[in-house]
Amino acid sequence: MANNATTYYDLYRHSSIGQMLTDALDDLIGEERIDPQLAMKVLTQFDRVITEVLNEKVKARLSFKGSLDTYRFCDEVWTFMIKNVTFKLDNGGTSVTADKVKIVSCSAKKPDDK
Amino acid sequence: MSNAAVGAVYEHIINEVISAVRIDFEEAGVDEAALDELKKNWQRKLSALNIAQFPWDPKPEAANVVQQHAPVAIPNTPQNVAAPPQQHASYTQATLSPPQHHQQTPQPLTLPGGNVQQQQQGTNGVHIKTEPGVPQQPKQDPPQPIIKQEPGTAPQNPNAHPAYPGPARGMAAQRAAQALESQYGARAAASISAIHHGMGSQMNNNPAGQPVQPHQQQQQQMYHQQQGQHAQRPPQQGQQQIPQQQLNAQQQYRQGVAAQMMQQRMQQQQHQHQQQANGGQNALHAAQTDGPTDDSAFDAVLMQRGPDGKPVNMGRVEIDNILHSQLAARAKQMEGGGLMLPLKEATKTRNLPSKRPKETGASQVDGPDDDDLKDEEVDEDAINSDLDDPEDENIVDEDDDELPHMMLCMYDKVQRVKNKWKCTLKDGVLTVNGREYVFHKATGEYEW
Repeated sequence: MANNATTYYDLYRHSSIGQMLTDALDDLIGEERIDPQLAMKVLTQFDRVITEVLNEKVKARLSFKGSLDTYRFCDEVWTFMIKNVTFKLDNGGTSVTADKVKIVSCSAKKPDDK
Repeated sequence: MSNAAVGAVYEHIINEVISAVRIDFEEAGVDEAALDELKKNWQRKLSALNIAQFPWDPKPEAANVVQQHAPVAIPNTPQNVAAPPQQHASYTQATLSPPQHHQQTPQPLTLPGGNVQQQQQGTNGVHIKTEPGVPQQPKQDPPQPIIKQEPGTAPQNPNAHPAYPGPARGMAAQRAAQALESQYGARAAASISAIHHGMGSQMNNNPAGQPVQPHQQQQQQMYHQQQGQHAQRPPQQGQQQIPQQQLNAQQQYRQGVAAQMMQQRMQQQQHQHQQQANGGQNALHAAQTDGPTDDSAFDAVLMQRGPDGKPVNMGRVEIDNILHSQLAARAKQMEGGGLMLPLKEATKTRNLPSKRPKETGASQVDGPDDDDLKDEEVDEDAINSDLDDPEDENIVDEDDDELPHMMLCMYDKVQRVKNKWKCTLKDGVLTVNGREYVFHKATGEYEW
């Protein structure tokens, strides 16, 4: 991971867009159109691009409240399980509720140290 | 609602990733089609999740418009695809599948020219040299030697016409079939059978069952000659014009050829007996080289020797039985003949071969028994599934049904005062209730 000047978290691979990319790559690998190394390169690019795009293009703000069920801090990664959570989205003021949400969060400070 | 931004953001991500890896694909020697497919698949899978409205998805209004226009755009296709059966017979499949048509139909049509090629490809010198003296020698490729003699007879016929409508068509089809077989082997089987098709129906016009009748032999000889001469003439005339001594030499040889031809034809005729009932003078039959017509009377894929030695069509039920016994045998082979099994399963599988034929007996006339195949597959799975925990699968399924509620992000700050937590998050993706949200910054307060 540390071959480039900057490295990026691969946690976004677990998002829906990352999962679908992985699926699509798996399909191509299964058909032997590409080899796994190339797929890894694609995923590495994805890590970079999604981090940059979320940082630069997205302006939306969000606040949420709930009751914390479980918390964990391990290897600079926070994991929260929050119950009965209400999200408030800034623009439009709509709110979304869910009975359980898992939050996985990496440190924004020093992604290079990972 | 920030959900609206998701589509644009994701599209941006996709485009950027695709363009970023383009060079990697080139370096890896992967064609660009794979990259395009990756992008399309990616977008399609995302759309299937239905987490947001994506720019690449057709707008709901747009979809309606397309549906309204669809009936207008379609009418061209049904003419070709869904032609009624009667029409179908005269259409021939050649019209429906241009590539094969283009590739193979020219064979019968341009035969006189093509013969030379065939000869050059397929002839070994021995055949030609010994041809007059050894007339009874079995020939693999009858047409070739005849053409050798063509130069002697050719000048007699000034009116060359390639499309001789008589028995020559059968010859042409025969040669086309042979050429196909030699060039394409088994792959051309469908085309060859289609050619034979046409020949079989043509044979209907000849007095069947008397292959070596003198009259027919003459006819055979006649069209051999005429093909060589590119002629379109009545048979009698053609025969008279040929010098007698040459005729004798040819005749001897051709009798052998003709007899063999007839023999082949009789075999084909036997196989396609029902086909003759359709009446074969339709010239398009000969041009059809891409498989039997859909309305053909073929109802068997396998043949077996009957008690009298003649091939008999096998019914679906019989074929099913064969397949079942083979499947069961293979399954048994894989499990070590039942030695490695719990007694219960072993006996169950052992019963398979003996039970199946009875179950799929004569009473079943509606095609293969789907249940049996499924049972077998299930059985095979069950054999190996001792270590599998079916409950695990259920849990996985539940998770798959609905996207997990999850937020992936980075944290700036996480603070705790007693049981009150405050955190500042950024650059996150949130999936909740089947919708997806992106945010630049998020603050959360919660109690433990």
